[in-house]
Amino acid sequence: MSQRTLPRLMQTPAVLLLLVWMLVPLGMTIFFSFIRYVLNNLRKPEWTTPSIDNWRGFGNYEYVLYKSKDFWFAVQNSVFIVGSIIVLTVALGLAIAVLINRSFPGRGMVRVLLISPFFVMPAVNAVLWINMLLDPVLGLNGLIVNGLNGVIDGLRDFPLLGNFFSFWPELQPISFRATQTSAYAVIVMVTWQWTPFAILIFMTSLQSEDQQQKEAAILDGASAWSQFVNLTIPHLARPIAIVIMIQAIFHLSLYAEIEIVSRGNGNKNLPYLIGEFASNNIGAASATGIFAVILANIVAIFLLRIIGKSLMD
Amino acid sequence: MVAVVNKSTFSKVFWPVLAWTVAIVFFFPIFWMVLTSFKTDADAVKPEHLIVFTPTLENYLNMIENYDFWRFAKNSVITSLFATTFTLFVGVPAAYAMAFNPSRHTKDILIWMLSTKMLPAAAVLYPMTFLTKNILGLFDTHFLIIIVLSLINLPIVIWMLFTYFKEIPKEIIEAGKMDGVSIWGEIKDIVLPLAWGGLASTALLCFIFCWNEAYWTVRLTTIDAATLSKLIEGNRAPEGLFFGRLSAVSTAAVGPIVVLGWFCQKQLVQGLTFGAVK
Repeated sequence: MSQRTLPRLMQTPAVLLLLVWMLVPLGMTIFFSFIRYVLNNLRKPEWTTPSIDNWRGFGNYEYVLYKSKDFWFAVQNSVFIVGSIIVLTVALGLAIAVLINRSFPGRGMVRVLLISPFFVMPAVNAVLWINMLLDPVLGLNGLIVNGLNGVIDGLRDFPLLGNFFSFWPELQPISFRATQTSAYAVIVMVTWQWTPFAILIFMTSLQSEDQQQKEAAILDGASAWSQFVNLTIPHLARPIAIVIMIQAIFHLSLYAEIEIVSRGNGNKNLPYLIGEFASNNIGAASATGIFAVILANIVAIFLLRIIGKSLMD
Repeated sequence: MVAVVNKSTFSKVFWPVLAWTVAIVFFFPIFWMVLTSFKTDADAVKPEHLIVFTPTLENYLNMIENYDFWRFAKNSVITSLFATTFTLFVGVPAAYAMAFNPSRHTKDILIWMLSTKMLPAAAVLYPMTFLTKNILGLFDTHFLIIIVLSLINLPIVIWMLFTYFKEIPKEIIEAGKMDGVSIWGEIKDIVLPLAWGGLASTALLCFIFCWNEAYWTVRLTTIDAATLSKLIEGNRAPEGLFFGRLSAVSTAAVGPIVVLGWFCQKQLVQGLTFGAVK
């Protein structure tokens, strides 16, 4: 066997499996996106079986782009959610990684506590946050606001001081199931889950930072902030890029959280919109799916430009 | 001089306290879930029983008796274990070949593999259901779930393994080649001992992702191969009701993995860097 054959053979199973895993469903999706295909239609029962006779050309694409009012909203919302999560996790991850990059009592325990959210099943994460923490009546959110209102009410009865507090309004808990806020609920819960991932990577990377360089900077009288900006951030460039890439991959296909928080009410992303179409109109769902693939590819090309260079060094 | 001493005592106290506070805030939701799982459904929503309550095992007993918990748990263990094994079985040789015998296309292959993870699952759900139900007859089988879990994790696993293998100095392998060691001997005697930590953490991460997967496992199963994520899915609906019950099911589903994560924390910290750290 030649030098090159064996390595190729070793890669073949993985490549073939992924190729089948990608091409078969993708091929079917492309086919369905060009035909009329619905699951239930009493007037046109012939549309309920996938067949080349029901060819619709780009009709499904036009329907999704022009007739469905949710499409552009879903695209924007997908980007908004992924972008917000990435910004928050990177910022929080950096701050916390720097915070725990020193020795102090119980550092190991702090690390264990901080990592834990990353292991939580996403479905549990969503159920836990939207019901028990963010619910405006029965969750901790509602209970705390009620408690605060109770305290303020009590203060109103005081002489003199009470006059001041009687000007205070009753506090209202924020409902995260409302249309405008459900995206925030999703962002909060996913940020909670993925910040530990960012912390982990940044923390490991900080440990390999050049200490001599830092000491030299201190001797030169550099402030802590300028050390952070001029030495630490450049050192962390690659880890930050990796954190962004991995998270973009995972969060573009966010689904369970969207569904559990508001059943997509006011807060659809592309995968969720596809799921909604797919309850009946497979043609439209498939066309949306192709759009989602295009969006993912745009993001992927953009990201891999950044990562790809340093990948092989 | 005085100012310097003051500053150092201040930072000796302030930063650790802040670190602990942040850690406690992050852990709080999990703590809250575990705490609520020991409350009755009625107590769970009463402000006066927020902290002080009579602990009960009712929710757990109820879960085991009425929700067939062990079957879901068993399915989760079986599918995650086999999927992890299979993924490594396919992934290790591939990553090995890419790291030690890279060709012009290696980078492109790696990037393409990762890009398969970006295909929105929802877009292929219907074709997948149709295919597995009507053509292959694999719907709701362990086999199907194991294959699907393997395929979604394969890109990440290969990526992680690739970054470990790349760290192993090529000279060691070359020396082995000089001594006439076969490629399998290379893997067994030289690479595996060196990459052991990386392998362990990859396996662990793969297992965690399999266990937590909730899109395919919910939609490609009904009863026979249904995992814990399906149990959660079935218990989540009524808003505000059954917090106790919900917390017990959630704690049982998440607990084993979180504890596993704690024990393997060191390996994970080293391993979970996707080649970000040199």
